Amino acid sequence: MDRRDILADNPVEKRRGYMPGVSVSPGRILFTAGMTGRQPDGTIVPGGMAAQTQRTMERLQAILQHAGANFSQVIKQLLYITDMEAHAAHGRAVRAGFFGEARPTSTALGVRRLADPAMLIEIELVVDLPDSPTGKPLLEKYNVEDHGLDFYQGVIVNGGRLIYLAGQVANNPDNTVAGVGDWKRQAEKVYENIGHVLRAAGATPASAVKETTWVLDIASWRQHGTAVRRAFYQGDYPASTLVEIQGLARPEFLVEIEVIAAVAR
Amino acid sequence: MPYTTITPAEAKPVASYKMATRMEGGRLLYIAGQVARDAEGEVLGKGDIRTQARQVFQNLRNVLQAAGGDLSDLLKITTYITNIEDFPAVAEIRSSVFPGELPASTLIVVKRLAQPELLIEVEGMAAIS
Repeated sequence: MDRRDILADNPVEKRRGYMPGVSVSPGRILFTAGMTGRQPDGTIVPGGMAAQTQRTMERLQAILQHAGANFSQVIKQLLYITDMEAHAAHGRAVRAGFFGEARPTSTALGVRRLADPAMLIEIELVVDLPDSPTGKPLLEKYNVEDHGLDFYQGVIVNGGRLIYLAGQVANNPDNTVAGVGDWKRQAEKVYENIGHVLRAAGATPASAVKETTWVLDIASWRQHGTAVRRAFYQGDYPASTLVEIQGLARPEFLVEIEVIAAVAR
Repeated sequence: MPYTTITPAEAKPVASYKMATRMEGGRLLYIAGQVARDAEGEVLGKGDIRTQARQVFQNLRNVLQAAGGDLSDLLKITTYITNIEDFPAVAEIRSSVFPGELPASTLIVVKRLAQPELLIEVEGMAAIS
């Protein structure tokens, strides 16, 4: 591990509990799925923002521990929050208790809803693991809970070349939108485009390590998009996050999917 | 440049950005979501998307430079805005900041950002040689 905290001469961010930038020499990088206050029975832990944040952080801690890591090795946290005021009042202190003196880079977004309407917060992490990738398989995908859902809770990239895809939308090569008003067609087109980009980068669907799905309506996505996604990954899922937001670059777009993938050096 | 630009023949970007980038070497830099705060933490340009967008990209560049890189080292950026009506102004300022092609890019309209007066936030990752 060879971490450098980048301060950019800006003391404000230091006080706010996060770093403007963190750079690492990438050896082993762990991407977690977006985690929430979900309990083993599928319900959301009662008790509001504080309880949900506590449960979310405990679950993330289990994912870190499985990889031999802790919160001081987190280089990025992404927070998806449905109620920013509640988070400032009741969630932030809970998170701070887990991070202690550690300072990752951070982005906090107020979103319309998460996978379950009862969810108030979802958190995902990128983590720099300290040990050497030598002798390890390129990807280690794992779960720490028997959740039965279509994603892995943690994916470790061991010494691979990371591929960052632009957010993919249902765009045709002639710049028209495929499937205007049609969730299924847009899902098909988005995954077709993801497939093209991965292939051009020397990767396959199985190379995906993290996926973020931004949709205008989670219920419609579940109804029409899930089967398309399942056919694309065929069981070899990335860590993933599903978020409902207000809008995308064009009013016709119903869904945008970002993928991070990795191939061998 | 410690990354390769991926240009698939069958899929085209919506605007002038890279479809994907593959990191080939160097250091991986993660940059926190940058907002229009000055060094004292004050939000600049309240209600003024242009002022905020300029400050955000300046802050982004500051972090890259402090890490030994610059805007050309970015692998990917995500631009979060709170009003889609602000997008044309953001796109114009962003194009002036990136005279060529943008890195791999995503645009998302969110309900709100960390403070209600913030109109734009941009985060990114870079490969620093």
